[in-house]
Amino acid sequence: MQDQPVISVQDVGMTYRSRDGLENQVLQGCNFDVASGEFVSIVGQSGSGKTTLLKIISGLVKNTAGEVQVRGRDVNEALHDIAMVFQSPVLLPWRNNLDNVMLPMEFRKRATRQSREYGLELLDLVGLGDKAKKYSYELSGGMQQRVAICRALVSHPEILLMDEPFGALDAMTRDSMNIELQRIWQETKRSVLFVTHSIPEAVWLGDRVVVVGDRPGRIIADIKVDLPRLRTKEHRYSDDFARYVAQVESLIGVSGAIS
Amino acid sequence: MSQAMPVESTMRVGAASPEKSPEVAPQRRQGQSVPVGVVNAVKAVVGVVGVLALWELAVLLLRLPEYLMVGPLSAVQEFFARPEYFMENAFITVQEALAGFALGTALGVLCGAVLYYIPAMRHFLYPTLIAIDTIPKVALAPLFIVWFGFGFESKAFVAMAIAFFPLVINTFDGLSSVPNELKELARINRAGRWMQMTKIEFIYALPSIFSGAKISISLAVGGAVVGEFIAGSSGLGYVILLANSQVDLPSMFAAFMVLAAISLIFFFLISVLAQRLLPWRNYSK
Ligand SMILES: Nc1ncnc2c1ncn2[C@@H]1O[C@H](COP(=O)(O)OP(=O)(O)OP(=O)(O)O)[C@@H](O)[C@H]1O
Ligand SMILES: [Mg+2]
Repeated sequence: MQDQPVISVQDVGMTYRSRDGLENQVLQGCNFDVASGEFVSIVGQSGSGKTTLLKIISGLVKNTAGEVQVRGRDVNEALHDIAMVFQSPVLLPWRNNLDNVMLPMEFRKRATRQSREYGLELLDLVGLGDKAKKYSYELSGGMQQRVAICRALVSHPEILLMDEPFGALDAMTRDSMNIELQRIWQETKRSVLFVTHSIPEAVWLGDRVVVVGDRPGRIIADIKVDLPRLRTKEHRYSDDFARYVAQVESLIGVSGAIS
Repeated sequence: MSQAMPVESTMRVGAASPEKSPEVAPQRRQGQSVPVGVVNAVKAVVGVVGVLALWELAVLLLRLPEYLMVGPLSAVQEFFARPEYFMENAFITVQEALAGFALGTALGVLCGAVLYYIPAMRHFLYPTLIAIDTIPKVALAPLFIVWFGFGFESKAFVAMAIAFFPLVINTFDGLSSVPNELKELARINRAGRWMQMTKIEFIYALPSIFSGAKISISLAVGGAVVGEFIAGSSGLGYVILLANSQVDLPSMFAAFMVLAAISLIFFFLISVLAQRLLPWRNYSK
């Protein structure tokens, strides 16, 4: 059981068909696994199909080729085990932060007193315990995204999919959110698939960095990051770290082309 | 970090989103809202009084005869000469307008929701609705009189026909503005249709629906008046027509003022209601 991957992506391909019959092959022959409790970063050029890949794994979009399994079951039966964090927090402005965190439980008709307590615990975990009754407009962008992460975790998902969750944050907030996320991940022991445009972020957070190539999107590299856990800020300045970043950069062929 | 990715980090700083500054917003709201409201009200009153004074002055200076133009003072005098006459007729117009507005709002929201949730209906009906919307609704008034007679109903229906469309469009737009991520969140958590509608979509659409209602309420008052023009034996529209036949401009202008007051009061009430029910609406994108 321990050896079975949590997520297994096998030969997944995706072709969007537009109304006028034009086909747009976005993904082709993607293969990778995510082990239990693993943190996998995904990087790739804009438009290479990273969001599409996450949507396929979450069951929001049906892949046109290959198979995605979650703990050996087809994704569409496993939806309950998956949660998603988007680029923008999209909190409901008429709900306070705790009620926003509870929204998935209400959707699942499982909003009990225990789940509410767990929601509060999660807010505590991200340092927002005292902001439970506040509204999102009273929070900074980084705090809002932390609430969104709590909202994703409240249903005890095995798998956390994150699509550029810190893309809208400034550099400093982003760094502290990275440290925060590593801590949350360590304490909650989820498997995380983390899409980002920042290669240093991908390397610093990931046990592995999956590099998605362009047109059609396919996996051009799957790099194991052998840096110690827990990682600290100082790791960002180590030679090993720089080497990993350089390796990924050369794979994507960046010269500032990612954005 | 900055060593490793000079290009990126500068980019990130540049791309720092102009997110609503969270600390400032609530403070500004508490600290300034009352004075700002008062100042705005004072400005508005000064504006109204100024315009009325200019109007009075122009009528005086140009020595306009009373059968061509009267100043606001004589309109006010006329009103207070027989207030019950104006108020009784105003009450009738208000009833017609409110009935039409209520019906138009209910049908408009329903119709907007149907268009949004049933794509087939949207494809078939949206163009038709837009086409119908281009017909001046007052042109339909004679038809309503044929259908509903000369009484209260025909005027209420004219008011309804006019009040209806802004609500269809605003309900539809409001529902369409729900961020995709929220719908995906609902789907990932297997929320039922009804759950998604009541917990997210309808609430999200409310600010837009309220803006529609603000437009509709004065349209409904106008619709009722037009109905009274065509087939009225009471109401402010009738007052205006009667005054017209008697070249009684003070009465006419008194009726105009009462009409303006009615629309303003309703507009204000809806705004207050929106503020009470949806205090969060200023903070949603
Ligand atoms: N619903 C859709 N219908 C048709 N084409 C789509 C759809 N969603 C995405 N695409 C196309 O798929 C390609 C990949 O899109 P996707 O959003 O997955 O890229 P991405 O790697 O997430 O890009 P970014 O880094 O900019 O977010 C793009 O060319 C896009 O136009
Ligand atoms: Mg994307």
